[in-house]
Amino acid sequence: MQVAIASGKGGVGKSTITASLLYLLKDRYKLIAVDADAEAPNLGLLLGVEEWEEEREHFGAKVARINSESCVRCGICYERCPYECIYMDDEGNYVVNELTCEGCNVCGLVCPVPGTITLEQVRSGVIRRATTKYGFPIISAQLDVGKPESGKLVTEEKEWAKKLMDELNLEHMIVDSAAGIGCQVIASLGGADVAILIAEPTPASLSDVQRAYKVVQHFREPAYLIINKADLNPGFTKLREWAEAEGIPVIGEVPYDRAIPKSMAMLKPVVEVFPESPASKALKEIADVIAEEILG
Amino acid sequence: MQIAVSGGKGGTGKSTVAINLAVELAKRFKLVLADLDVEAPNDHLLLGVDLANEEPVNQFMPRFDYSKCTKCRKCAEVCEEHAIITLKDGTPFLMPTLCSGCRACEIVCPVPGAILEGSRLIGHTYVTETHYGFTLVTGKLREGEERSMPLVVEAKRRARNLDYELMMVDTAAGTGNTVSKAIEGSELLIAVTEPTPLGIHDTELILQLGRLMNLKTWVVVNRADLGDVGRVREIAGRYGAEIVAEIPYSESIVKSYVSGRPIVLEEVPEAKIFRELAEKVANFLGGDE
Repeated sequence: MQVAIASGKGGVGKSTITASLLYLLKDRYKLIAVDADAEAPNLGLLLGVEEWEEEREHFGAKVARINSESCVRCGICYERCPYECIYMDDEGNYVVNELTCEGCNVCGLVCPVPGTITLEQVRSGVIRRATTKYGFPIISAQLDVGKPESGKLVTEEKEWAKKLMDELNLEHMIVDSAAGIGCQVIASLGGADVAILIAEPTPASLSDVQRAYKVVQHFREPAYLIINKADLNPGFTKLREWAEAEGIPVIGEVPYDRAIPKSMAMLKPVVEVFPESPASKALKEIADVIAEEILG
Repeated sequence: MQIAVSGGKGGTGKSTVAINLAVELAKRFKLVLADLDVEAPNDHLLLGVDLANEEPVNQFMPRFDYSKCTKCRKCAEVCEEHAIITLKDGTPFLMPTLCSGCRACEIVCPVPGAILEGSRLIGHTYVTETHYGFTLVTGKLREGEERSMPLVVEAKRRARNLDYELMMVDTAAGTGNTVSKAIEGSELLIAVTEPTPLGIHDTELILQLGRLMNLKTWVVVNRADLGDVGRVREIAGRYGAEIVAEIPYSESIVKSYVSGRPIVLEEVPEAKIFRELAEKVANFLGGDE
């Protein structure tokens, strides 16, 4: 089974909760973890991964380059770039900003001087594999900063993870998605059997998780909700009300607990180092519900 | 002038810093705040305003006039997104969700009129007057759409067309090219982080981006009492970035965050941190008298 964990909003506890759930479920199932936040990958850190056993570079990204020798400075590329990525440098040369280029090649197609603008394949990032000290493997990607198409890296990660699942006879893939609702999240949710949403009781988190849920609905996946920092904002009932109205089962509430940042600093799941803390107790109950109702 | 608030990791407090700075800086500059976190825009919620002046963002999508199409396959060949597939005989079909709207197909099509103008709604932009003397511009990607870049570009364009002295941009989490697009054109990058190993890891990524973009970069450490600020300082130092503010974990900030009233308006110690930071930004920009 493939379980994707998403939230819309960043920093609500996706990776923290994922790390703890992996720890709690590792003896019951044969798991593989996928850190699908290629722009800010953190799950490996939380699981204490120090060394990657295998690293694959990815050259999927393309960026345009302008040869200033043959460029006639007509400015057509500058006018036609759909994403405003071409600018004129101090010497009057048209230059592509490689940190914002989407690689669509429109500039190359409209350029009147053949061979002046070329689309070049560049490295978009790396995908890595490690075995965590808890025994299960993890796949993690890291987009090179300023590069396009982090979603494609996530798709590649999941392909790799699927192969490993076949080879090692693993049962469940747990995908920790990025913040947002764009390409990385769509790549994470696409193909998943179940989505677990994480939100905290604040208007911002509610607004973002509602958007993430709409993406989940596109894929027609069953969704569950975990409320993190559940006691953060006692008067705020709208999150629960929304879940109820949508028929999304709330599978647990994790209280705000200083044991969590402490465990993070130790690079270990909170359930491992502070098993008796309030957050850990809640997470254990959630893991049991996931085992019973989702993973079976 | 333009400055950017970013941070790499999600949920470090980018929007909190952005809106509080905006409230303060609006006293000195005619200010526009652009919420370019188009996948999860929240600045309006933190400012307690409803989004206004909605405008649709439509993206070009080719429509094929099959009576004119010569089935030459050129459109499919140039499509970097592989959004156009062709049947055995060369008849093109569009996979709308893959289309980025770049118009490469239209450019190479040799038959006038074979590719017609189509469009798809990918999101909206908003221009909202806040209660604090500045304008908020927001981009909001439609759920199910994959590409945030066109919306970032469009929201920024709408912001640029307003009358302002200072534009502040609040970016999405992450460090990819939509974040660099949002930051582009800034004179100062304020990276908001938290002193956890995760925050520190992602700060380094945003500092790398700042360096690649040749940007003066400052670091704001949020929830500074929840970790090791020394480690943040060490990494910031490596990139020549200064730590300009340390914000403690604070119930008051949580309360203001939830109530939609910026903390800088309250008489609490945390407000002073934001006021001083605004002062520092204003001095950097040369906006004080």
